Amino acid sequence: MKIPILRLERILLVSIQVDLTDNDAMQFQSDLVEQVAEIEALGVAIDITALDVVDSYMARVINDTASMVRLLGAESVICGVQPFVALTLVEMGRDLLGADCAFNLGQGLEILRTRIATRGDTRLSEDENV
Amino acid sequence: MSTTAFQQVLHEQRSALLTAWINHVAALGDQHGSHEHALDALLRSLFDDILGILERQPTATLTLEHEESLTLALRQLVGEQARHGSSASTCVNVVLTLKHLVSAQLVTAAEVTLAEMSWLEQVFEQLTLLTVTAFVAIRERQITQQSLSLLELSTPVLRLWHRILLLPLVGVIDTVRARQITESLLEAIARYEARVTILDLTGVPVLDTSVAQHLMKTIDAARLLGTRVVMTGISPEGAQTLTKLGIRFADVISRATLRAGIAEALLLVGQQIAPLEGKRG
Repeated sequence: MKIPILRLERILLVSIQVDLTDNDAMQFQSDLVEQVAEIEALGVAIDITALDVVDSYMARVINDTASMVRLLGAESVICGVQPFVALTLVEMGRDLLGADCAFNLGQGLEILRTRIATRGDTRLSEDENV
Repeated sequence: MSTTAFQQVLHEQRSALLTAWINHVAALGDQHGSHEHALDALLRSLFDDILGILERQPTATLTLEHEESLTLALRQLVGEQARHGSSASTCVNVVLTLKHLVSAQLVTAAEVTLAEMSWLEQVFEQLTLLTVTAFVAIRERQITQQSLSLLELSTPVLRLWHRILLLPLVGVIDTVRARQITESLLEAIARYEARVTILDLTGVPVLDTSVAQHLMKTIDAARLLGTRVVMTGISPEGAQTLTKLGIRFADVISRATLRAGIAEALLLVGQQIAPLEGKRG
């Protein structure tokens, strides 16, 4: 199953709603990374509100994706970790979700916007677009 | 010592063989007119040396390395060919053409003993070996020269702005280059008291474990001198590889393009590129 990547100006939104097979996960990762590089995204929000179960593999995929996105110069935030999911992840190991988390998509976007506003290249693109 | 049929044939057909060989070689490499004279002289001297050896009494072991004039002529010939972009097989073919010509003469013209034929084989085997060795030696010298000049050319540290340095990395990063890069970067940071260093990786084709390790060392060393590091131009594939290898660049700002990286660096030193008053648009 292909996961849709939504574009909100220079922020990308992804919502993972079903358990991904290994192939799907890899496909999702490379799709997102390509897209980030193509539009020079400033931020990426990965929403996992709909996931009731996150195993260690899935957690690693999400975490890796967040690091890749950061390497490509975009801020990243993970939104909507369910209480039960958080509990299991902590029990499996503390570092499983090392990226920044937000309660829901709205707060995630807020975090992204604040962080983007403090960046140097936002001002640059404003100057150039004049 | 009486002359055998073998030696006699070689003696009688000498000039015919030489002309045939020179013609064949010319057809082989479609040489440019200007070099033909030098090539002719080389072939002549080589021909004399080879026939000199062929006319000798066969010995069980043969090494051609002590034949100084032959070795020299062969090296020059191979050098000439290599400079004009010929492959190793073309060079060997030059030698083998002479072998075919000689053996064709021997088979048609006279009765030749098995020992003499095997002598012919032996001489040309050694010649082939010598040719290949010479070719490889010349190529290796070229490669060494090129990598040396690449090393010198490819590690400039640019002063982009007051207290901002730019280090554009191009090409493959190996241990030697990594050390040189680190050294020249640290030197520049110290000299200009840089606050920010931009590391542009757009020109690095492959990001693997060893490259990443070298980069980490460079970045760590730079940070010890009190400069922030901004990495730019990592490709999507590069980002995936680095992450899958488990490499985390902590406390390093990463930006998609050099453009964004420069803006970030300017912000870090509190500067800005702004349009001139009244000249907008």
